[in-house]
Amino acid sequence: MTWGVCIGDNETGWWVDEDERARLAEFVASRTPALMRVAYLLTGNRNAAEDLFQSALARTIPKWGSIRHADPEGYLRVVMYREQVSWWRRLRRWRETPLNPADEPVGADPSGGSDVRLAMRAALRHLPPAQRTVVVLRYYEDLPEARVAELLGCSVGTVRSRTHRAVTRLRELLPEIELLEVRR
Amino acid sequence: MTDSFEHLIRSTLTDLAEEAPIVHDQLSRAERRVRNRRRATVTMGALGTLAAILIATPLALAGTGSDQPRPAAPNPAVEPNLPAPTPSGPAVEPGPVAPSPPGVPGRPGPRVEPGPPGVPGRPGPTVEPSPSGPIAVPGVPGVPGGAPAPGVPGRPGPTVKPSPSEPVAVPSPAA
Repeated sequence: MTWGVCIGDNETGWWVDEDERARLAEFVASRTPALMRVAYLLTGNRNAAEDLFQSALARTIPKWGSIRHADPEGYLRVVMYREQVSWWRRLRRWRETPLNPADEPVGADPSGGSDVRLAMRAALRHLPPAQRTVVVLRYYEDLPEARVAELLGCSVGTVRSRTHRAVTRLRELLPEIELLEVRR
Repeated sequence: MTDSFEHLIRSTLTDLAEEAPIVHDQLSRAERRVRNRRRATVTMGALGTLAAILIATPLALAGTGSDQPRPAAPNPAVEPNLPAPTPSGPAVEPGPVAPSPPGVPGRPGPRVEPGPPGVPGRPGPTVEPSPSGPIAVPGVPGVPGGAPAPGVPGRPGPTVKPSPSEPVAVPSPAA
């Protein structure tokens, strides 16, 4: 075990084992696709997803020594969820000026191009970050309300209310959902 | 209806997740972020400490001397009190000389009436010689000193000749 490999630089970095550095790199390389999918669902934007993932990873790296034997992916996911709904990130996002509101790539719809899903995709983009995060955790990650509340650091009632508001908002954004369902 | 709507949400999210961007080399970028964050933290900490010192130092200095007025501030109430203590202290020592009588009235004088303080104001200068008195105890020899003092320069005139050998020929005036 050689102590001397530095993550970062000699001035401000911290010293970890070379083997741990290799494990960290392996973990990041193996879990990046799945975590990027979650980040993309949370943000709805490619650049924002990459930024969110890097930000969460930057917060996880200093803690690697203490979480490597526990659940580093769970820790990283929690950091992503909380970072997404954090007040500071919301402020920074508000200061950003989107060049193109339709940031999503315009191409063939891999899901088959149904109108219902296209409309739902557009409606999901209009959800606030907190409600969108709850929707992702409840309907994509299939987590129970208690687990969602634990991950986000809030009460179960908050999770229920946010979920209810999110679904109500989606219904408001999709008034013709019955027509689309019938047409499908 | 709710189940179908939730199913629609799930399927849409699943399809949307497949469009997530593929990124590489996230670790090195995250490490760069960590470095920048640490530098920013250290810098902000140093700036905060410096600001605290700059703010707290004048306050601490002002708090230490709060009991007394500024040194240069003219305070008439302090000036008359200054001569009073000066004669009181030394007045005891030179008492046998002369200021002892003014010293006695001097103490009640300045505290009761403004007039008497003027009197002790004069003893003030008398006090000065009094402390110097002990030092000027040689003043007693001053009596003889008065006579030779002018005489010394008179006589050394002729003694200037041997002066190259010993200019401090003090014994010469004594002789």
